[in-house]
Amino acid sequence: MSSSTDWHVDLLEIAQKCVYCGYCSLCPTFKELKWETYQPRGILEQIRMYFSESVKEEKKVKVSKTLFEAIFACTMCKACENICLVDLPLLKVWEQVRQEAFKKGRWSPLLLSLYNKVKTTQNIYGLPAEERLAWAGLAGLNMSKRTMKKASIAYFVGCQASYSGKMGNVAPSVVKILRKTRVNFTILGLDEWCCGSPVFLAGGYSVGKTFAKHNLDKLKELGVKRIVTACSGCYRAFKIGYPRVLGDKWDIEVLHITELADELIKKGKLKLKHAIKEKITFKDPCELVRHCGLVEAPREVIKQIPNVRFEELPSNKHDALCCGGGGLLKLNDSDLVSQVNSHLISEIEYSEAEIVANGCPTCKDTILAGVKKNGLNVEVLDISELIVRAMEGKQ
Amino acid sequence: MTLKKTTRTRFTRFLSKNFRDDYTTLQIYSRDMSDLPKVVKLFVGNLPDGVIQVRNTEDMQKIYEIANETRVPITQRGGGTAGFGGCVPYKKGVVVDTKGLESHFLVDPLELTVTTSPSIVFSDLQRQLNLEGFSLCSYPSSFHSATVGGWIAHGGYGIGSIQYGGANEQIAALEVVLPNGEIKRYTEFDDISLFVGSHGTLGTITEVVLKIKFNIPLKHQGCTFDSPSEMLKGLEQLSKINPFSIWFLNPDHVTSFNEVFGYNLPRSYVAIISKEVSFEEEEKEFNNLFNSAIRASGGQILDRRYIKDIWDFRFKGFSLLGECTDYLVTEVILPVETSERFFRKIISKFKGELHLEGEMISPTHYSLLIYLLFEEKLSEIKKTILNLKLYKITTKKSRAKGFPYSTGLWFSGYYSSIYGKEQYKRYQEFKRKVDPKNISNPGKVISPRIRFFPLVRLKAIVKIASRLIIWK
Repeated sequence: MSSSTDWHVDLLEIAQKCVYCGYCSLCPTFKELKWETYQPRGILEQIRMYFSESVKEEKKVKVSKTLFEAIFACTMCKACENICLVDLPLLKVWEQVRQEAFKKGRWSPLLLSLYNKVKTTQNIYGLPAEERLAWAGLAGLNMSKRTMKKASIAYFVGCQASYSGKMGNVAPSVVKILRKTRVNFTILGLDEWCCGSPVFLAGGYSVGKTFAKHNLDKLKELGVKRIVTACSGCYRAFKIGYPRVLGDKWDIEVLHITELADELIKKGKLKLKHAIKEKITFKDPCELVRHCGLVEAPREVIKQIPNVRFEELPSNKHDALCCGGGGLLKLNDSDLVSQVNSHLISEIEYSEAEIVANGCPTCKDTILAGVKKNGLNVEVLDISELIVRAMEGKQ
Repeated sequence: MTLKKTTRTRFTRFLSKNFRDDYTTLQIYSRDMSDLPKVVKLFVGNLPDGVIQVRNTEDMQKIYEIANETRVPITQRGGGTAGFGGCVPYKKGVVVDTKGLESHFLVDPLELTVTTSPSIVFSDLQRQLNLEGFSLCSYPSSFHSATVGGWIAHGGYGIGSIQYGGANEQIAALEVVLPNGEIKRYTEFDDISLFVGSHGTLGTITEVVLKIKFNIPLKHQGCTFDSPSEMLKGLEQLSKINPFSIWFLNPDHVTSFNEVFGYNLPRSYVAIISKEVSFEEEEKEFNNLFNSAIRASGGQILDRRYIKDIWDFRFKGFSLLGECTDYLVTEVILPVETSERFFRKIISKFKGELHLEGEMISPTHYSLLIYLLFEEKLSEIKKTILNLKLYKITTKKSRAKGFPYSTGLWFSGYYSSIYGKEQYKRYQEFKRKVDPKNISNPGKVISPRIRFFPLVRLKAIVKIASRLIIWK
C-alpha cells in the first residue's frame, strides 16, 4: 500500500529548483490573464514565499491570496510540466497547493459544494445513485444482464456519461461497440462510484482513496482484469491516481475506448465499413495525451474509417491546446474557460473540419459551447460515437 | 520611492484592474531570470511601487504623462526571461508589463513582413507564420519564452542571425510611444537602430513589423573539433558557405548530451551547421562545401544519427541547470578571429563544470552562452565574487575584443562598446530630446549613480570590484 509520502512532494524544494526560464509562458491561463502571478514560474515564486520560514506570517497571508487564486485558475493541462526544462513535477505541486488551500479553508463555495456532492452521493452532480443507469433506459438498452456480472472486462461509464444529457450518446455508443464485437463485459451499474478524478484534481488524495478502494473492490468481486472507459478524466484517475493511492493492489489494466477499438480492429473483430464523407479532426484531450501519453490509438482508429478525410489540428498530440474546461476551472471561472477555449475554436475553424472528434466529455462539452458561440457548422462527437457511425452508418 | 497617494490614485483611476500594487505582484516583478544578490539589492531599488498591464498606445501615452508629471520612473517588461536586469527596476517606480498589449498578426506576403504586437512570444509567432508557409528569419535560443519586444530591447541576435542578421536587420518598422508622449512610426534603419538594445530607455515599442521569409526546409550537418583553435578555424571556414546557423558546444556540454541521450560522443567541440535547402542540387552543393570546410579546418564529420537530437536540443540548454545545485549564466559576443585567448582563459580560470554554447551571429562574430555549474549551494558572497569574475571576463579589454551581449542593468555603461561611439552619441542626443527627466527605464544603458553614494556610478563600482577579484 502506498503512503501519502509517495505522492507528496517537497513544495519549497521544487520551487527553488525553478530556473526561471519562462518556458511555462505557454500556460493557457497565463496567456489570457497576462499577470505573472498566474505564470507557473510566478506561482513557484509565490510558493517560495509562502512556504519559506524567513517570510513573516502577515506576508504569507498576502501571498496566499494570489497564490490560491492562481492555483484555481489552472486548467491542469500539464503543458507547463511537459515543457519544463528542469522536469519539475508541477502537476503534483499544483494539486498539493490546492490541498493546502483546502486546509486553510480557502476553497470557493462552488468547489466545496462539488466536493461535498462527490463525497455524499458519489457522483459529481449530486444526483441519486439510482439514476446512474438512466442513460441505458433512455437509449432503449437493457443492461440488466451486463450489470455486476462476472467478466474480465468492465466498462466504467463515469459520471458525465451516466448523468449528463449532453453526453447521452457516449455510453450507448461504447456498449454498441462492445456488443458488436462480442466482448464479454460488465458494468458496475448502481455500484459504480465516481472515479474520484475531481477529488484528485483538487489534491484530495486521501478522500480519493475511498473512491478508488470502493471501485477496486467491486471490480475484484467481478474478476475484472481490464477496465475500459471513454472518459479521459476517469482514464487519468485509473492510470495515475489509483496506483498512487492503492499501490500494487491496483493491478487492473486500463484502456481508453480508442485503445480497445484499435485492438479489436487489429484482431479483425471490429470493422468500420461505412465511409464518413465529412472532414474529421481530433482534439487530443490533455488528460489523455499529456497526462497519460495516449497519442496514437485514436488516430489509428480514425485511419480505419473508409475514405476518411482526416486533418490534424495545427496544435496536436503533445502540443494540443487545452479546451479550457479542465482542472475544475469551470467551477471557478467560466469566462476564463471561454477565453481559453476560443484559441482551440480558432484552430478548429482553421482546419476546416466538419467533425471534431475527441475522447473526453469535458472537452466535448466545452467545444460544443465554443462552436455554438462562434456559430461554426461543426459536429462535435465523442470518438465512441464516431466509431459507431463508421460501424453502423449514419442513423 | 513609494508612490504618492495622488499618483497611485491617478494610475488606478485610469487603469483600474490593470494597475496592481499588492505585495506578491510587486515581489514577482522585482526580478528577471537572475535574481539580484542580497548585497546588490541594498543599492538597487528593484522592488517596484506598482505594476501596470498596458493595453494599447493610448494607455502608454497616459502612463508617460503621469510618469513625467510625477517623476515616477517606469520600467518596461516583456517576457522577463533575460538575465541582464533590463526589465528590473533600478529606482523603483512602476513596471509596465507589455504582455497586456492587444495582439495582432498581419502577414504581408508581397513585402514579406509580419505586423505584430511586441508582446508575442517567438514560438507563438513562428507557429502562426508556419501555418501560412512563412518563417521568422532569426529567433533567440529562449524561443519559447522571449517576447519580440524584449528581444529588440536587448539588441537581440539568435539562430539564423548569421544569414539574416540580428534585430536591427529584421525590423521593417517600429511603432513607439516616446517618453514625451508622442507616437512615432519608424521605418528608417538609423531610427530603428536607436531602439534596438536600448532597453526601452528611449520609449516603449507598441507595434513591430518584422521581416519574414518563406519556410524553407533546413538541412543539417555536424562536425567535431579537438581544440578551441581548431574549432575557431572551422567556424571561419563554415561561415563562408552561407549557412542559416552555426551552433557549437564545448566538451562539457557534449558530455551532458551523452548522459541525456545515452550517446557515446567523444569529449570534443561539436558544431551543427544548418542551411536552407530547397532542391536536391542545393543539398549536394551544401554537402560538398561542408566537407571542404571541414577538411580545411582539421575537423571530423559527425555521425548523422546524432545531428537531429542535438539540433532539437538548441532551445533546451537551460535543462542543464536542473542537474546542479547552483549556477551562474552570462552571454558575451566575441569575434572569431581574436577569441582563442578568451576561450583558453575561461577554460583555465573556472574550475568545475563549464558549459559553453555558441551561435554565429555574423560571419565574423558569435554569441557565447556561458554556464557555470556547481555541485554545492553557493553563499551570497561567493556568488557575488563569481559574478564579478564573470563580469571581468566579459568586459575586460583583452585581445579577445569581445563585449557583453546586452547592457541592461549589469552592463550599463557598455553601450558604446557594443554599438560604437557614434551610435552612443546619437543615443544620448535622442535621449535628451525625448526623455529629459529620465523616467523611461532609468539605470539601463547609461550607468546609473549608486544609491547612498550619488557621486559614484554603478559601472565604476562593479568594474573596480571585479578587478580586485584575484583568480585562484
